[in-house]
Amino acid sequence: MKLQRLWAVVHKEFRHIVRDWQTLIIVLAMPVALMFLYGYALDVNIKDVPVIVEDPSPSLESAAVIKAIDNSELFKVTGVVRVAVEPHELFRGKGVKAVFRFPYDFAARLRRPLDPPAIQVLIDGSDQNTGTIIRNAVEPFLRQAVLELLGKTVPPVIEVQQTVLYNPQQKSALFFVPGLMAMILMMISALLTALAVTREKELGTMEQLLVTPLSPAVIIVGKLLPYIILSAIDGLLVLGVGETVFGVRVRGSMLLLTGASFIYIFTALALGLLMSTIARKQEHALLMVLPITMLPTMLLSGFIFPLASLPVWLQALSSIVPATYFLQIIRGIILKGVGAQELWKPLAALSGMGLLLMAISIKKFKVRL
Amino acid sequence: MNRIRTIIWKELKQLKADPIMSRLIVVPVVLQMFVLGYAITTEVKNTTVTIMDKSDTPRSAELTQAIVHNPLFRYVGPSSSEARAREALDRGAAKIALVIPAEFASDLGRGLAAPVGLFVDGQDANSSTVAAGYVNAIIMGWSLEYLKRKLGGAGGRIESLLPIRVYPVILFNPMLKSTWYMVPALAVILVTMVTALLTGFSIVKEKEAGTLEQLMVTPLMPLQLVLGKVAPFIVIGLLELCAVLAFATLWFGIPFRGNFLTLMLFGLVYMASSLGIGILTSTIARTPQQVLFLTFFVMLFFLLLSGFFIPIENMPLWVQRVTYVNPLRYFMFVIREIFLKGSGLKELWRQGLAMAAIGVVMFTAALALFNRRVS
Repeated sequence: MKLQRLWAVVHKEFRHIVRDWQTLIIVLAMPVALMFLYGYALDVNIKDVPVIVEDPSPSLESAAVIKAIDNSELFKVTGVVRVAVEPHELFRGKGVKAVFRFPYDFAARLRRPLDPPAIQVLIDGSDQNTGTIIRNAVEPFLRQAVLELLGKTVPPVIEVQQTVLYNPQQKSALFFVPGLMAMILMMISALLTALAVTREKELGTMEQLLVTPLSPAVIIVGKLLPYIILSAIDGLLVLGVGETVFGVRVRGSMLLLTGASFIYIFTALALGLLMSTIARKQEHALLMVLPITMLPTMLLSGFIFPLASLPVWLQALSSIVPATYFLQIIRGIILKGVGAQELWKPLAALSGMGLLLMAISIKKFKVRL
Repeated sequence: MNRIRTIIWKELKQLKADPIMSRLIVVPVVLQMFVLGYAITTEVKNTTVTIMDKSDTPRSAELTQAIVHNPLFRYVGPSSSEARAREALDRGAAKIALVIPAEFASDLGRGLAAPVGLFVDGQDANSSTVAAGYVNAIIMGWSLEYLKRKLGGAGGRIESLLPIRVYPVILFNPMLKSTWYMVPALAVILVTMVTALLTGFSIVKEKEAGTLEQLMVTPLMPLQLVLGKVAPFIVIGLLELCAVLAFATLWFGIPFRGNFLTLMLFGLVYMASSLGIGILTSTIARTPQQVLFLTFFVMLFFLLLSGFFIPIENMPLWVQRVTYVNPLRYFMFVIREIFLKGSGLKELWRQGLAMAAIGVVMFTAALALFNRRVS
C-alpha cells in the first residue's frame, strides 16, 4: 500500500521531468559534451609558446642557440629581427610571449670564458601562469644550450630522480573527470530538486498533495527518488565515458565509490530541499541555486583551481562546500586507488554535513507545512 | 524611432518594477568581483611538501632548509621513511615528497652526482609541473652555490662553468599576479551573463505571460520590438563594464593602461553577439529556467574555448580553428590587451573586425529566428 503510494509520486515526478525534455537533454548531454571538451581539447601543459629573437649580429653560434630554442618543447621561434627599436611593441596584439635579446658581441664573448655574454629575456607577464613557467625555464634552458654548443659540461652535483604519481602521463582528463562527477551530481540533485519543489509550491499543487492521504515523508521521498536515479545514471555515464574514451580507470574500490557518491547525492538533495523551503517563487530559487550550488562546486572545491593557492578566507569558505570533500574522496579512489583508511576524514566531514543539512531542511519543511 | 523609444520606456519601467531582475544586475557584479576575483587563480602557492632526510648531514640540512623556508611551499613535517612519505601523498597530506638518500653527503664529497628522489602528486598536471619546477630550481640554485664554494676553495671561478648570463625581465605584470590577468577577463563573463540572461528572461517572460502576442499585433515591426527590448540592456552592459573597470583599478589595484573609449567601443561591438545569444535562447526556451540552463551551458563552452584560463595556443589545431567563431575569444583577448598592455585600435582592429562579423551574423540569425517564431 505504502509502496504503491510512493510509486504514484515517483511516477508523477518522472512525468514532470520528461515533459521538460529541454532541461533533461541539457542535463544528460552536458556531462558528455564537457568531457569530450576537457578530455580532448584542453591540455593544460604549456608548450610551443611563440617567441621572437633579436639578434643584432648573426653568427654561427647565435644561429645554433636560436635553433635550440625553436627545437625545444616550450618555445617556438616565430620571428628573428636584427634590431627591436621598441621591444614592447612586439607584444601588442600578436600573442608573442617572450623576446630573447642577444648581445651584438655574443659570439666573441663566448670565447672569453671570464666575461660571458648576457642574454636579456623580455617576458609577457600578463598571463601569470605562462609567464611564471617561462621565467623559471629560460635560465637553465639557455645555459644548457650554450654548454652543449661549446661541448662543455658542468660537474654534476645533484641528480633529481622525479617520479610523477597517480597521473604519470599528465593527462588533464584524469583530473577533470572526477570534478565533472561532482558538478553534475550537484546540478541534478540540488539544483533540479530545488526548482521542482519550488515550482510545486508556487503552483499551489504542493498543498493539493498534502491533503491527499500521502504522508509528508512519502511525498518527499517520492519527489527525491527520481532525481537520485537520474543522478546515478549521469554518474555512471561520466564514469563509463571516462573509462572507455579517456582511459580513466577506477583504481580503488567501486563499492566505496558508489557509497561515497550516494552520501554526496544525499547531501546535495538536502541542500536542494533547504533552498526550496526558503524560496517562495521559482525566480527566487533560480537566483539562489547558481551562487549556492554551481559556483562553489566549480570554483571553491579544487575542481579547476588549486585550493592551496586561494586566500585564507576563501579556503575557509571552501571547507563548507560539500564538493571539496567529495573531490578528495573520488580523486583518492579513482586516481590514487586508496581506501576508507586514508579517506575517513573527508568521508566523515561529508556525511556529517549531509546529516546536518537534511535535519535542518526537514525541520524547516515541516514548519512550512 | 518613436516606437522604439516607447518600447525602451516600457522595458525600463518593467525593470524598475521587478526587484528580481534588478538584483540580477547588481548581485553578480559584487559576487563575481569578490569571489571570482580571488578564486580564479593560476598561481601555485602553499604547495605542501614533506621531506625524508636519510642522510642527516649539514649538507642535506642546508638543502632541506632552502625548501622549508621557501614561501612558495608549506612544510608539513618530516617523514621517517620513504614509505611514510608515499603515504603522506596517498592521504593528500602532502603534494610533494623529497627523499634524500643516506649516501648524499658522501656522494657529494667524492664529486659524484648525488641522486635525490622527488615524488610529485601529478593529479593536476599544471600545478604539479609548476611546483616540481620550483623544487628543481631550488635544487639547481643550491647546486650552483655549492659549486661556487668548492671552486672558490680551489681558487677557481664559477664563470668558467657558466658560459652565459640570463636576465629575465617581466613586462606588463611584473609581480606575476594572477588577478591582473583574470579580473579584467571577468568583465567578459559578466557582460555576457547579464546581457544574454536578461534579454532571454525578458522575452521568455513576455512569451509566458502572453504579452508578446499583444505586442506583435501592434504596428511595431519585429526589428523595432527587439531593438527596443535590448537597448536598456546595452546600457546596463556598458555600466557593468565600467563597474569592472572601477573594481579592478580601485580594489585590486590593477593598472588600466589603455583608452577608456576603446574599451567601450569594443564592448558595444561585442554585445551584438551576447545579445544575439540572449535572443536565440529565448526563441528555443519556454521558461526562465530553460533560459538559465541554456545560457549556462553555452557559456561553459564559450568560456572554455576563449583562453580564459587555458591558453588557446595549447589546444589542438582543430580546436583552435573552432575558437575562431567564438566571440568571447576576441573580447577576452582585447580586454586584457587594453588593460595590461595599453593596446589600441591600431593593434586590435583585426579582433574588432572578427567580433563585428560574428556579431552581425549572430544578431541577424537571432532576429530571423525570432521573426519566424512570433509570426
